[in-house]
Amino acid sequence: MFRPRPHLLWLLVPFVLFLGAVPWVNRVDPVVLGLPFFFVWTLGATVVTPFAVWFAWRGDRRLKRNGEG
Amino acid sequence: MNAVVATGVFVAFMVLTVVLGLLAVRGRGGGGGGLTEWSVGGRSLGAVLIWVLMAGESYTSFSYLGAAGWGYNHGAPVLYVVAYMSCGYAVGYLVGPLLWEYARRHDLVGLTDILAHRYGRPWLGAAVAVLATVFLLPYIQLQITGMGVVVSTISYGAISLNWAYFAAFAVTTGFVVVSGLRGSAWVSVLKDVLVIGTLAFLAVYVPLHYFDGYGPFLDRLVAEKRAWLTLPGGSGGTSGSGAGGGGLGGAWYVTTSLLNALTVVIFPTTVAGYLGARDADALRRNAIWLPAYNVLLFVPMFLGMAALLVVPGLTGVGSNLALFELVVDSLPAWAVGVVGVAAALSSIVPMAVFMLVIGTMWGRSVFPLLSRRRAGEARPAREVRQKGAAQVVVVVAGAVALILTYAAPTTLVRLSLISYEGMAQLLPLVLLGLVWKRFTLAAGLSGLVVGVAVVCALVFTGRDPVWGVNAGIVALGANLGVALVVMYGTCGVYGTRARRAWRRVPAQRRTRTALEGDDTAR
Repeated sequence: MFRPRPHLLWLLVPFVLFLGAVPWVNRVDPVVLGLPFFFVWTLGATVVTPFAVWFAWRGDRRLKRNGEG
Repeated sequence: MNAVVATGVFVAFMVLTVVLGLLAVRGRGGGGGGLTEWSVGGRSLGAVLIWVLMAGESYTSFSYLGAAGWGYNHGAPVLYVVAYMSCGYAVGYLVGPLLWEYARRHDLVGLTDILAHRYGRPWLGAAVAVLATVFLLPYIQLQITGMGVVVSTISYGAISLNWAYFAAFAVTTGFVVVSGLRGSAWVSVLKDVLVIGTLAFLAVYVPLHYFDGYGPFLDRLVAEKRAWLTLPGGSGGTSGSGAGGGGLGGAWYVTTSLLNALTVVIFPTTVAGYLGARDADALRRNAIWLPAYNVLLFVPMFLGMAALLVVPGLTGVGSNLALFELVVDSLPAWAVGVVGVAAALSSIVPMAVFMLVIGTMWGRSVFPLLSRRRAGEARPAREVRQKGAAQVVVVVAGAVALILTYAAPTTLVRLSLISYEGMAQLLPLVLLGLVWKRFTLAAGLSGLVVGVAVVCALVFTGRDPVWGVNAGIVALGANLGVALVVMYGTCGVYGTRARRAWRRVPAQRRTRTALEGDDTAR
């Protein structure tokens, strides 16, 4: 009854970016456009997250279509 | 003169808020209907309203006061808010539809309702309702005090703190009692317009006004406050030395974000938002777009750090007003009023949903246990009666929080320390219960008791963070461990006793995992 949904791995992306990467990105330099690096990284992760969830959703939608068709 | 203008703007918007909240139920029986319409908007809110509502819930007075205050006191550690919300939405992509499906299938209106049904024990719903109320009351009080200090500040002191607290209570109760979740969603629309507008404006205006633009502001920040820009953050506005940040290091950051990301999806108020959705796909699409809202959170954080350079030396409660110190100092009275309204609405919307959820839990899960079941009562009549009880509880819960704010402000502050980490202990009971058919009540409940005990023990003895790690996640580990031991100990996961117990449950009661996402295919 469980269909494999490998596309759900996309949902791990925010965890890797926000949390997994902390030891490497917790630094001030390089300063990007005046912003300290840790803030730039977090801002970037915030922008990327919607896309990761979108990929997961797209996978689910495709799965559903195939299931119906 | 300033006080009159700013207060006038504030009062006008508060009246508008109540009117908007009340108008939301027009054409829907004028606030009639039963508990389902009131608590979860009749499960009919579309993707846009759900987005606005859920963004509104998560963007509380903390965002204006706490985020700026943390930015001021610590700096980088405040980013955990952005981290946990983004990760939380990714978890919500899975959990939201799961809860929605279960509630929809069995006609349930809240988290306690879901638990009572899943384990087939009405008293469990009542017990969790009481526990959750204890954890939620501090949040109502936080919103009341948050709105209080904002209103008092933006009225240039014309409205005293005590009256400002009362205004918070009166405005919120004014619409939520009548219009429930739908009213909150519509007030959220007004709130979002104001919040996005004012934050976007402040993000441009403050650096220009105080630092001649972004470049010089950020340069000064990097040059003078380096300690604030990485974990574990700076050490408060007073010393400025930046040595050590009270244990808010990388381990704390990761564990806190992780725990909150998991907890936020079963937080009773989030669940109320989930259940209000028209279909499960609205929730999934929401999970895509909600993280984008977090970009806004960077504004108060940076403004808090800007205040560090402009008005150094704020301590305690004062540091929470870091952002408003800048606003009152640099803007004309009417603009101060508008920013104040945006911040006030950021308190009102979450507070409305908190009160609504408490009302729903008691109306649905506690009172029906106390009153004798009326034989043959039709469903609509029962729903109306439950809604009536829930509305009374809303007023009572708000009044209790208000009275405690006046009489014993420190009690709830202490409770608020364990609120989130305590609520996290419901995770195994709720999530394992929904995805693992044979998970037993004994296992979930013993885990919950141990988890809450560990949270209380660690937090009230001042050991949070413990070993540099969030105390709630330590407790959750103990919780999960105990639950699994009891699970294996009493029946063995694949044991015969568990299977026999499972067979005794009537077929329609059995949890079907909704993980497959087949909601719309049906």
